[in-house]
Amino acid sequence: MSKNYATVNPCTMCMPLGSVMAFRGIENTMPFFHGSQGCSTYMRLHLAHHFREPIDIASSALSENGAVYGGGANLKQGLRNVIKGYDPRIIGIATTCIAETIGEDIPQLIKEFRQEYPGHSDIILIPVSTPSFKHSHEEGYNETLRAVVQTLAKKDQPSDRFNLIVAAIVSPEDVRYLKQMLDDCAWSNILLPDTSETFDAPVVDEPPKIPVGGTRIEDIKDTANSKETVTIGSCSTIIGAGEYLDCKFNIPNIVLPLPIGLEYSDIFVSKIEMITGTALSRKYELERGRLLDAMIDSHKYVAHVKTAIFGNTDIVIGVTKLLTELGMQPEVIATGSDNQVFEKAARKLAPDAVVLCNTDFSGIHSEIKKKEIELMIGPFTGRQISKAEHIPLVRLGFPNHDRMGASRQLILGYEGAMRLTDTITNTILENK
Amino acid sequence: MLENKIVTLDERRKHIQRKEGEILLPVICNSDSLAGAVSQRACVYSGARVVLNPITDALHLVHGPIGCASYTWDIRGSMTSGATLYKNSFSTDMKEINVVFGGEKKLANALRELVMKYHPPAVFVYSTCIVGIIGDDLRAVCNASSKELNIPVIPVLSEGFRGNKRMGYKAACHAIFELIGTRVHTPQKPAINLLGEYNVAGDLWNIKPYFEEMGIDIIVSMTGDSCVEDIRKAHTAHLNLVQCSGSMTYLAKMLEEKYGIPYLKASFFGTNDMSKALMTTAKFFNDPLMVQKAEEIIKRETARTAPLIEYYRSRVSGRRAAIYMGGAAKAVSLVKAFRELGMDVVIIGTQTGKKDDYEEIGCLVNNGTVIIDDANPLELRELLTRQKANLLVSGVKERFLSYKLGIPFCDFNHDRTITFEGFDGMVNFAHEIDTTINSPVWKLHVMRTGGLINVEELCNS
Ligand code: SF4
Repeated sequence: MSKNYATVNPCTMCMPLGSVMAFRGIENTMPFFHGSQGCSTYMRLHLAHHFREPIDIASSALSENGAVYGGGANLKQGLRNVIKGYDPRIIGIATTCIAETIGEDIPQLIKEFRQEYPGHSDIILIPVSTPSFKHSHEEGYNETLRAVVQTLAKKDQPSDRFNLIVAAIVSPEDVRYLKQMLDDCAWSNILLPDTSETFDAPVVDEPPKIPVGGTRIEDIKDTANSKETVTIGSCSTIIGAGEYLDCKFNIPNIVLPLPIGLEYSDIFVSKIEMITGTALSRKYELERGRLLDAMIDSHKYVAHVKTAIFGNTDIVIGVTKLLTELGMQPEVIATGSDNQVFEKAARKLAPDAVVLCNTDFSGIHSEIKKKEIELMIGPFTGRQISKAEHIPLVRLGFPNHDRMGASRQLILGYEGAMRLTDTITNTILENK
Repeated sequence: MLENKIVTLDERRKHIQRKEGEILLPVICNSDSLAGAVSQRACVYSGARVVLNPITDALHLVHGPIGCASYTWDIRGSMTSGATLYKNSFSTDMKEINVVFGGEKKLANALRELVMKYHPPAVFVYSTCIVGIIGDDLRAVCNASSKELNIPVIPVLSEGFRGNKRMGYKAACHAIFELIGTRVHTPQKPAINLLGEYNVAGDLWNIKPYFEEMGIDIIVSMTGDSCVEDIRKAHTAHLNLVQCSGSMTYLAKMLEEKYGIPYLKASFFGTNDMSKALMTTAKFFNDPLMVQKAEEIIKRETARTAPLIEYYRSRVSGRRAAIYMGGAAKAVSLVKAFRELGMDVVIIGTQTGKKDDYEEIGCLVNNGTVIIDDANPLELRELLTRQKANLLVSGVKERFLSYKLGIPFCDFNHDRTITFEGFDGMVNFAHEIDTTINSPVWKLHVMRTGGLINVEELCNS
């Protein structure tokens, strides 16, 4: 689709936001933006609304002076203050537009910081370049995962673990589900990033300054010694963590779609069975059977329902797959990211659908009208269209600011597909 | 002294003071946020956007990369009785090529495209951080577009890094000022403008009827539920009532200077302040009938709402409140409202307060209250615990910190969906505070006590 000059109601967010979502899944890590104060405040708000958690992101708070003479002093002062205040093991430094535009050389500034403050040598600094005028939050997320591995992974004794890189933004509940499954089946692994606790923290007596949880630093170091990498999320257009480990340490990397729906979950499970030599446990075989049962129960009610799916690339692809398995009719498949991989995958799954890349909600809206859509699936940002056209919206993925439980939304695996199938079917039944 | 007690960064100490023995040391304020301190403040653009966005039929175009527009799409709970164009987020979505070669052309094209499609009566074009760096001439593009498209296209100079939110308010005031005075209008009755009334959750609709009852015409409320046409007539008012003084005093002063319209500070929150606002307005017009009407309204509405408020007061009085707001005017109103509810304010802070704001706050609060400027999460959490607050009133970022600490929270910002202004608003507020503080969720044990000690009690109850 040809893009207009103006974007009307964006279906995407900016790169540093994605970087926070990755950094937050690493043990004892404080996200830090080099740039203006406002960016961090906006993204804190955006994330807090969705996860309903306190979100702390530090900023070097560049002002006019910093913009003109360089922000090195601010960056260094900021790092010291974060260390004093939060006592992190890692500070993840992402850049906002202004730092990128004035051409800040972060690796150089980090070198200076190291020289000037040798007392802080135990703090790991992970820089990642996230210019929002180049890519969206999805690339920001994957760039960050790569930067993390690039900084930390170290060759050592080979282990019998495999790496599981979650290369798409999923909910804490999704990560919990994956961890449980890996654990139940005794599939020895390193999962990155682990947001299961950090974005969905319990109430405790003395809440920690940096949420407990996240992938352990020692484990990330050891990703260089795993026997294989499974990357879930296949739409990334940049060199991800898995590819890096492959190039650098010769660890074979297999890229799979997010395990959404029956067949993609099967692919995921079978691959890990192959790597580990251990079969899926009975608990999940039963779950799979129940999912199929649920899909059969639902198929008549959902058949040929014309659906629009929008949001983050990998989730849209996975959900589209599930819809085709159910006999529904994905008619509009859209993402705000500029992503050819997505476009191809979507066309293959649903050759008759309109596929929109690099689009906005005004683009999605006009297609929804043309195609006489009956059901919408995607983030809450579709609510205005849903209201205007009286089409039910199943809220799914990020962001979700106006309903409870975004952190506990499960869409991965057999269980996730089951819940999704029920929700979709019930939504259709209620709106009959 | 508090400075010795609170654990924070050295540079931050002078921003935090405790009122002791009727003496308050000056609170350092209105300075740039400290790097790495995790300030709760936003940016110049944010300040401008929150002020202008409620103009319902204007087209708000963000010239910058996509993020800035994404995060500010329909963020403010300002309600509308008419147009809904302001609920959209328009952006030039600048890409690398625009950063390198400039974004003026894309902006001009975007303006043309959007005006043709949406036919707005006016456009506000906001500049974000990088526009200032790459040197796009926003004013020139806007002027040219304005001529070509035959509507006001107003630049809002709000590059994020050029200061804080307060500068954004100023930029917004300048933008509004460009519109004012561009329509001929002669008011038939005593006429006023409300400045700094944003109609969050529909606040304006609680108070408007009282002014009408007094025979006063509100030409425009700036900017809640306003439209471009009414703003253009704002210069014909006889009086400006300034509520959110932090954001709008500047505009009031400009209107006074250019059009000779006097202004008065007012607040519509809390029974006392609301009554005072009606009375001062009536007295300003120096009309005994109007004063009598105001008295009548105040008597009637107070009689109606007092018993309700009294009920809630009996359930919350004596509790300890903490206030952390963006602007000082709201913080001051809140102190008074809590007084009506018999609650003590133990912490009070703002993101953008000025020296005289803090002096006013200092006079108002009791001994022992901690006053803080540009607080960060670590300071807030320490103070909330140390001052034994039973409630925090603030915005979304602070909400979940409060919850995690087990402290009830009330949203007094853009995200609330209940009106707090006017006589009914005060009842709503009191009700909200009661349901918040007295919810059983706060009585549940954070840690399991263990054992089965209470089984019998549970079964018999
Ligand atoms: S300036 Fe760039 S990094 Fe900051 S909010 Fe806007 S798009 Fe995001």
